[in-house]
Amino acid sequence: MSSSVEGRRPLLRVAGVSFSYLGRFAALDDVKLSIHEGESVALLGANGCGKSTLLKVLDGLVFPDAGTYRAFGEEITERSLEDDQLNRAFRGRVGFVFQNADAQVFSPTVREEVAFGPLNLGLDRGDAEERVHDVLELLDIAELADRAPYQLSGGQKKRVAIASVLVMNPEVILFDEPTAALDPRSTRWLVELLGELRRAGKTIVIATHDLERLPAMADRSVVIDEAHRVVRDGPTAEVLDDRELLEGANLADQA
Amino acid sequence: MSTAGREAPAWLLRPEPGLCSCGCVGRRRRGSFLDKTLRGTTVALARVLFDDDEAERDLPLQRVDPAVKIVAAALLLLAAALVHHVVVLVALSLALLGLAAGCGVPAGRLARRVWFTVPAFTAVVVVPATFSFVTPGEVVLPLGTWFGHPVGLTRQGLTAALLLVARVGACLTVALSLTMTTRWDRLLGGARRLGVPRAIVMVASMAFRYLCTLLETVTDLFTARKARTVNPSDATEGRRFVAASAGTVFGASHHLATEVHEAMIARGYTGEPRTLARARVRRVDALWFLGALAAATLALGVDRVVLG
Repeated sequence: MSSSVEGRRPLLRVAGVSFSYLGRFAALDDVKLSIHEGESVALLGANGCGKSTLLKVLDGLVFPDAGTYRAFGEEITERSLEDDQLNRAFRGRVGFVFQNADAQVFSPTVREEVAFGPLNLGLDRGDAEERVHDVLELLDIAELADRAPYQLSGGQKKRVAIASVLVMNPEVILFDEPTAALDPRSTRWLVELLGELRRAGKTIVIATHDLERLPAMADRSVVIDEAHRVVRDGPTAEVLDDRELLEGANLADQA
Repeated sequence: MSTAGREAPAWLLRPEPGLCSCGCVGRRRRGSFLDKTLRGTTVALARVLFDDDEAERDLPLQRVDPAVKIVAAALLLLAAALVHHVVVLVALSLALLGLAAGCGVPAGRLARRVWFTVPAFTAVVVVPATFSFVTPGEVVLPLGTWFGHPVGLTRQGLTAALLLVARVGACLTVALSLTMTTRWDRLLGGARRLGVPRAIVMVASMAFRYLCTLLETVTDLFTARKARTVNPSDATEGRRFVAASAGTVFGASHHLATEVHEAMIARGYTGEPRTLARARVRRVDALWFLGALAAATLALGVDRVVLG
């Protein structure tokens, strides 16, 4: 872990977490990880190593078979999230941008889509409308407000998906493969946005295997190998310099 | 050529014969039922999904509150169902066509949608009813005799068939005028305000939203198969493909449904959908409702009192 986080408040803490799908297909094995306030952390690994599953654990969407997960000092379990107050507080503080924007953009119009989170978190309509307006302007998609999701391009859907999370003003934003399937201009826009969010003090966790843009997206990198275990946790520059590690985790090929 | 340290087999390195070098061409085959069905469904769905131009225009009919429009449409449908004279039904259809045209809906397209669809679907039902052995009466178009009795189309049968076609046409004109001037999300919002349970509105809204995505999956599956098919498949093989791909599509839709649900939960959804829509009944809504009520009353009055 980077020494730059010393003294910062740990927000998310995963301890000895294991998870398997249907009790047979392992996705995470004894994973330990702490995310501190204001950090930008990349979860690196090959396809199927468990990055997306770890993000889902961090967002309280799947729950570990073994180990514990604490967010903002509270243990997050299926049962604890049944508490309406805790659920609302947790959902409002952690946002998740899914890899498949189609799954995240489900409302009839962009405006309704972006308003979904604030309304569900209890904001009144007036405040929600104001926030929606601001975030659509911020992401330069105000002209799409009344469009239906199926009328949007892939890049536009991604912007709407990000807007629908930013509008909740979460402290921690989880991104699953944010640059996947984006054209170069949208990718550059996204990387710049991540930079702005980092400067604004947001805590960012990104699951990716896009090593090319990694230094611009995260200060710290956590490498998960194909055995679903964390094999390295350190500054991005150091991780990227360790060729043997990257090849071992199937993140780079012998050139 | 080698991959992963293995040499490619010799056949992979040889070019396959392509078009005949003499330039001759083979026999053309028509596309399969599957090809046509999928293409037709895609075009029809795309038309429904992307034809929002008229609904988005800022004209009187588009401005009417969708809940009021649904109630008004229900009144007109009720009137169309109770009217017994073809002339009244035709007048109702023409009046709606004129109104829709005045509100930016191309009357020609609306009329085509109604009058190309109605005869095709109602003919199956009404044609037998026009014959003397189903609807006895005065034979106006004899087709032969049966034990000395003339057999053919009867006046009573033709009148009943015409009435049914006119009624279906009028009802379809009402329904299409509503859907072509109201965006589907507003329509569902209106249905919600009229007391349709939230869960039903939510499911309908999402079903509509993801229909396109799933159709895309089916089209991709079919295209991938077609790209590797040299000889056009017969109908049996096509049906086998549809049955086999149903499983794949089910898997894809299940995966998508799980992801959508997770995306909803991640943003605080706890089972109670909330939207920005507010109920606002304005003067234009009241006018439209009163207009529809007057039209329905007039149609029934003329039908029952004037024409008897």
